[in-house]
Amino acid sequence: MNTPEKGYGVVYRPKKKLSEKKRKTVFKRLCDIVGPENFSDKEIDKIIYSRDFWPIALRWMLERKVPALPDCVVWPENTKQISDILKLANEESIPVVPFGEASGVLGGMIPVKGGILVDLKRMNKILKINDKDLTVTAQPGLNLMELERLLNKEGYTMGHSPQSIYCSSLGGNLATRAAGQFSTKYGKIDDMLISLEAVLPQGEVIRSKTVPKSSTGPRIDKMMLGSEGTLGIITEATLKIWPYPEKKELLSYAFEGMESGLECIRKILRRGIFPAVIRLYDEKETAFRFYQTGKAKDKCLLVLVLQGDKELVELETKVSQDVCRKHEGIECGEGPVIHWFETRFNVKEASDFAPREIIFDTIEVSVTWDKSIELYNSMISAMENVNGVIVAFAHASHFYPQGVCFYFIFGGTPVKGAEPNEFYTSVWDAAMRSCLDAGGSISHHHGIGLMRARWLGEELGQSFEILKKIKKSLDPKNIMNPGKMGL
Amino acid sequence: MLDKIKKYSWLIDSLMEAKWSTKKEVVHNFLNAKKKYVPKEKTNAKVGDILKCALCPNMCRFDCPVARVGNSEALTPAAKSRIAYLMEMGEIDFSGEFVDLMYKCAGCDASREWCPFDFSVEDLLVGVREDIVDKGLAPKALLELKDKLEKNHQIYDQSLIPPDTEAEKARILYFMGCTARAKVPDVVNTNIKLLEKSGLDFATIPDEWCCGAPLSTLGFKDSFYKFAEHNSRLINKSKCRTLVCDCPECAYVFRELYPKIGFRLKAEILPMNQFLLRLVEENKIKPAGLQGEFVYHDPCALSRKLNVCSAPRELLKSIPGLELKETYFSHRETRCCGMGGMLGITNPEISSKIGESRISELKEVCSNIVTACPTCELAFKNANKDKKVKVYDISEVLLKSLEK
Repeated sequence: MNTPEKGYGVVYRPKKKLSEKKRKTVFKRLCDIVGPENFSDKEIDKIIYSRDFWPIALRWMLERKVPALPDCVVWPENTKQISDILKLANEESIPVVPFGEASGVLGGMIPVKGGILVDLKRMNKILKINDKDLTVTAQPGLNLMELERLLNKEGYTMGHSPQSIYCSSLGGNLATRAAGQFSTKYGKIDDMLISLEAVLPQGEVIRSKTVPKSSTGPRIDKMMLGSEGTLGIITEATLKIWPYPEKKELLSYAFEGMESGLECIRKILRRGIFPAVIRLYDEKETAFRFYQTGKAKDKCLLVLVLQGDKELVELETKVSQDVCRKHEGIECGEGPVIHWFETRFNVKEASDFAPREIIFDTIEVSVTWDKSIELYNSMISAMENVNGVIVAFAHASHFYPQGVCFYFIFGGTPVKGAEPNEFYTSVWDAAMRSCLDAGGSISHHHGIGLMRARWLGEELGQSFEILKKIKKSLDPKNIMNPGKMGL
Repeated sequence: MLDKIKKYSWLIDSLMEAKWSTKKEVVHNFLNAKKKYVPKEKTNAKVGDILKCALCPNMCRFDCPVARVGNSEALTPAAKSRIAYLMEMGEIDFSGEFVDLMYKCAGCDASREWCPFDFSVEDLLVGVREDIVDKGLAPKALLELKDKLEKNHQIYDQSLIPPDTEAEKARILYFMGCTARAKVPDVVNTNIKLLEKSGLDFATIPDEWCCGAPLSTLGFKDSFYKFAEHNSRLINKSKCRTLVCDCPECAYVFRELYPKIGFRLKAEILPMNQFLLRLVEENKIKPAGLQGEFVYHDPCALSRKLNVCSAPRELLKSIPGLELKETYFSHRETRCCGMGGMLGITNPEISSKIGESRISELKEVCSNIVTACPTCELAFKNANKDKKVKVYDISEVLLKSLEK
């Protein structure tokens, strides 16, 4: 058999390989911890656990390359097992990579230094739904759609519906500070988190109190949010839930240009109204997604979904409509919103275009209102100026009274002589540079992983040095997801 | 065509604005690049589609019954496609655990419900299995199963309820199917009683062979052809106008798969529950009444492959006194019993875990489970270890209501 080691290129190869003797001892001890049925060093598992949904990793798949191979995979069933695994990994100085469902788009789970892949799939239960407190307590390996369906079944929603809801885990969402499409009303996963339990790199278990708020010093547990597996493994979380909305209103309006659309949204939020979904598409993306909506031709389409308590929704709808009209929005009805609901999980671009060597990717950034239109314009033009880019467009889809998240999409092809990955990186470079220059944050909700690591220093400034110090103190041997986030 | 131009106008417009060198490159890549990523030789597997699936972030994974009960990420739909792709491209050999993975699918079609490309993972895997067979690498146990089928014309070892011999004249043929005949013969007897009560002229097929679903699913396309040829010849030479199937998978195979290989049945093909509903509506069968709560389980083959969800419910609602209950996961969003796609034979452990998981969801609702597929019934009977629930075929419930 062609093993991947022999048959094709493994892109990231650890400099130091585990000796045969060490491998045997460690594997035996891992089997003792999780049970032999929850351990694998099979070739098939190593291949499958080699990548996430990072477009560069998808390119490697086309080239029949494997990004990186873990030494083994384990499926722990409880916090104690995870703690024991991390203690063992520390003792033996072996990397550990936590694994949710690998829908990340920045290479965050690629086991670039090999080691133990800790898949959290077996920790996938809802532990408690508390109706009075409106909370759910669940394990990190739970698939988000499964969580949402089980909540819906009982009459609740978490209101967290990222495009990856079908294919991502609760733990992964917390570890990357993800945001869902209904975030303007319900918040991002960071806002939903009330308390958590986590295992730190050396095996210590921390657990925060489930209280609505406290004033008891800095929140150590919140450090796990966005840590992307570099500071430990989240093993349980308690989050906010809401009664399932009794009413939904769907509105859409077309605006002349992004500026007037953004201004209208800003005014809606200023009135204290938080529609669950607000999405404003620029002219090009409107043409891409809503070509059937004649009234929106050459305009920017705004999609609004207001949901929740019937009476409140009625009032919010009335106010939103008034504001839209005042800003000369052209009413486009429910049709475009229904179309959005029907197509919002059609993730087809990579499958359709990657084999044609046309590369698509998304870049999400955030910025305050006062710099928003400048950032939008400069990032679009920075991407368009890269040789080979055919299209660059954006929508704004997560809003705050203070600002907005822009979600850029670019597509293009490497022109003669350039490697696909070289082209891809040059578009990212241009976009990140322009974002930083315009005063935006380089990521709103996808995280850092491998792809954004080299800009994190500039983004965080001195705080990045502090982050490194925290990492060093918690994880002196750098076993947790090494090589990610520039750590 | 006009719609397609409208749909891609954003791309066309952008392309028009691009530099000449970019334009040239895009068009060249659009037309040619793909060839690099599919095998040069002809394969049974649709490698282009498998590649699309492999490049997906696994959008159907949450509803895949095999992935839900298994440990490894390799059991998720897109991961199977990734391995299939590497095998078809010659990067890894068709062997061992890689080949075994190609059979770890319950054929439930849940993937199609969520797939933006409308793919069924089972369909993608069947092509790979056909390639495995063509290369002479099919697992031994499956070859033995094929040989047994070719010899006995049915999949089980148990003796079958013998068919009728008057088939040639009857307008209605009842295709019993091997699972019902061998494993849940009460269902066959029930259906025969119901058809007799209706007073209709019906018969079973004298030399009924398995519909061929197991052969088609496992990639034995040549053998499947023989079974399709045999059954379609028998049915088409009879006077039959309506072919009623106990098993929805048989109905699906007759309706969708036989025509694909050139065998079109002249008769109307109906799952039994749809036919029985028709008899009730025509007053040929009059349910008297049955007290109790019954939760209905939608079989994947019936709800998703044949899109029949309302007929069994209407049939149950036609029984006075019967209270129809629903699970949250119902209609086309039903969950698999675990026995589809030959999983009960290729991977019995995974299959029974799926069965146990589904029966526990049904149990939450009430203790009488009713379904409309002999394979689901069998799966639930196997999974009903504590005997806390009763499992019925929909025909059995109807007959009970007549006998009251």
